[in-house]
Amino acid sequence: MPVPDLFCAMMKEEWRMHSTIFGSLGFALFPAVIAVFALLGSLTLPLFADVFPYDVVALFAHALFLLMGVMVGSFGLMGREFMNRRFGQASLIAYASRSLPVSERRIFGAFLVKDTVYYILLYVLPFAAGFAAATPFIGLDPGLAVLAFVSLALAFLLGLSAVCFLSTLYARSVALLAGTVAVLTVLAVAAFRLGAITVSAALPPYAFFLDPKVEPLAISLLLILVPAAASVLFVTVDYPDRTKRFKNSLEPLAERVGTLGSAHFIAKDALDLLRSEGGAGKVIFSFLLPLGLVWVCLQVLIRFIPGIDPLVVFAVLLGVISATIYNWLTEFDSFTSYAFLPVKVSEVIDAKLKSYALANLLPLGVLVLAAATSGGAGTFIPALAAFASVSAYTLAVTVYLTGLHPNVMLYHACVFLRYLLAISPALLLLIFASIFDPAYAASSLLLVAPAALLLSRGRTKWQAWEMPGY
Amino acid sequence: MIEATELTKDYGNVTAVNRVSFSVAEGELFGLLGPNGSGKTTMIRMLTGQIPPTSGSARVMGLDAAKDPIGVRGLVGIIPEQETPPSFLTAEEYLRFVAGIRNLDSVDERCDRWFDLLEFGDKRDVLCKDLSRGTRQKLMFAQAFLHEPRLALIDEPLINLDPIMQRTVKDFLRSYVQGGGTVFFSTHILEIAEEICDRIGIIHNGRILHCGPVGDLVGSGRHLESFFLDLVRGDAGA
Repeated sequence: MPVPDLFCAMMKEEWRMHSTIFGSLGFALFPAVIAVFALLGSLTLPLFADVFPYDVVALFAHALFLLMGVMVGSFGLMGREFMNRRFGQASLIAYASRSLPVSERRIFGAFLVKDTVYYILLYVLPFAAGFAAATPFIGLDPGLAVLAFVSLALAFLLGLSAVCFLSTLYARSVALLAGTVAVLTVLAVAAFRLGAITVSAALPPYAFFLDPKVEPLAISLLLILVPAAASVLFVTVDYPDRTKRFKNSLEPLAERVGTLGSAHFIAKDALDLLRSEGGAGKVIFSFLLPLGLVWVCLQVLIRFIPGIDPLVVFAVLLGVISATIYNWLTEFDSFTSYAFLPVKVSEVIDAKLKSYALANLLPLGVLVLAAATSGGAGTFIPALAAFASVSAYTLAVTVYLTGLHPNVMLYHACVFLRYLLAISPALLLLIFASIFDPAYAASSLLLVAPAALLLSRGRTKWQAWEMPGY
Repeated sequence: MIEATELTKDYGNVTAVNRVSFSVAEGELFGLLGPNGSGKTTMIRMLTGQIPPTSGSARVMGLDAAKDPIGVRGLVGIIPEQETPPSFLTAEEYLRFVAGIRNLDSVDERCDRWFDLLEFGDKRDVLCKDLSRGTRQKLMFAQAFLHEPRLALIDEPLINLDPIMQRTVKDFLRSYVQGGGTVFFSTHILEIAEEICDRIGIIHNGRILHCGPVGDLVGSGRHLESFFLDLVRGDAGA
């Protein structure tokens, strides 16, 4: 089967998969929501130019699309179990090299091209279009939007290509992956410490946006194409016929958390997380990596905004990113698995909340580490309050809007819009307040009340949704 | 044990189950037979409180399935048609998980009994996602009977099982009923019903066309297959 045919079939499959889950209209509107947000955000740029210079905003935008590439790649490579839970025995073309006379390399190559085209159309193009529509009103050259489209697409592909390469290493050898990540981390830290590399040099698409010359473009393409080509050349598919055996870990884990209640559910969540494809690695990809980027961006930001306290802002963003742990906790579960057992939806949600609270020890550890290494102990208490409150509030909004289906429902345009509208104002207010005085971040504790209300209503709402008529 | 009265389920303009009434007594093995899409699965889902009826009612072990679905599911054992056990628990962990939800004691003995009876003890530490379909069906069977319910509702009980295991399961179901248990199952495989059921109901287009003892058919010298085909084809042509 030629790659173009495979590509077309995969594009249709991706669209049908998304439109089946989200509804055709709901999903078709998703790019429109991105475009509207990009337009509105761009229109506010001059208002905040003193606080957030354009190049800092551009850095954030490029980091954001880099992360999107990482997440799309992670899902594409690790999302088979999710699809199986959602659709029963999912049968996607990407996993069809056993049944079709097509090589794994050819399928994976077409898969990468499909992800490139599909998600650039879905994410990057609407974002650039929204920005382009705003340029006449904010005194910027519309040509800048074309440049932004190219550089943001490069940032997205950089993330996608990197995660595909790392996943290929992981499939070959966990030790190889760990070694590569360790070497790259040491080199990056050393380069930054020695001042041998700047942020823009570390993110070539951003450098290309700032200075559109051949060199950063060539470096970007090199950093995208070489790992992508290597991941296609050395691709291997982890077929399920590698039978895995484990001793009973459910009950020992359940005993440890027995005092919390819902012990068997919490133990199951932990095992789902640890034993699913990617294991703890997926937490690194989707959680620690964004946090690392946020930390680096904040180090840049403090040069432009003197009053900002990096630890407090980091804590606020940490709270938001922590909520993605809930997505992992629900990814391999669905209420249909319990519908024939004496279990209420609210019990499953409560168990997820407890799992979430336990899993939040990880970001808490990150916050402590950040405070210890950055000399930010003086603002640790307000930062801790901000982290805990924002994490609880973001989780509550997620639960209320998406129930046990955050990985699905957040792609629905209306739900995503409501999510952004619920989170963004609180977040921005907190960050601005902390610029005046980091202690103001403690006011984030006010978010606990709406969080409790949203969780309470969310339980009732999703009980009725999962068990209609009861 | 089961009392369905004028049970009806509409999905939009489609009536999946249409004013169905029947009862199943304690110690009975009742088979609901029908072609694909006739309403069998919808019927089981209503009886077990997984979906509410549009109208009518169902009492299961004295409880109203629509008003107390959790109570019903606490009492009965259910094997749904398509659900598979959680991917990242082993077979044994899944049984222990279900035992935890049902607050059962003597979990070791209960698990061992089912691993032995259904002959899959060698798979107890294998992740459910790596189990064959037949072994997953055994596991779903074991979870349904783990708490020794007095009533079991099973959607296609022998699906994916090899002939040897089908024999084991059929023998178990007969002995279970002889011991005072009650079984309600749906199938479109007529031989199973003819072999082990006390009574059958034949459903087509959401309506019960026939309900009666299997012995009556045998006594009249008719085979279930020809009886079923005449009834369903006659209804389709009507």
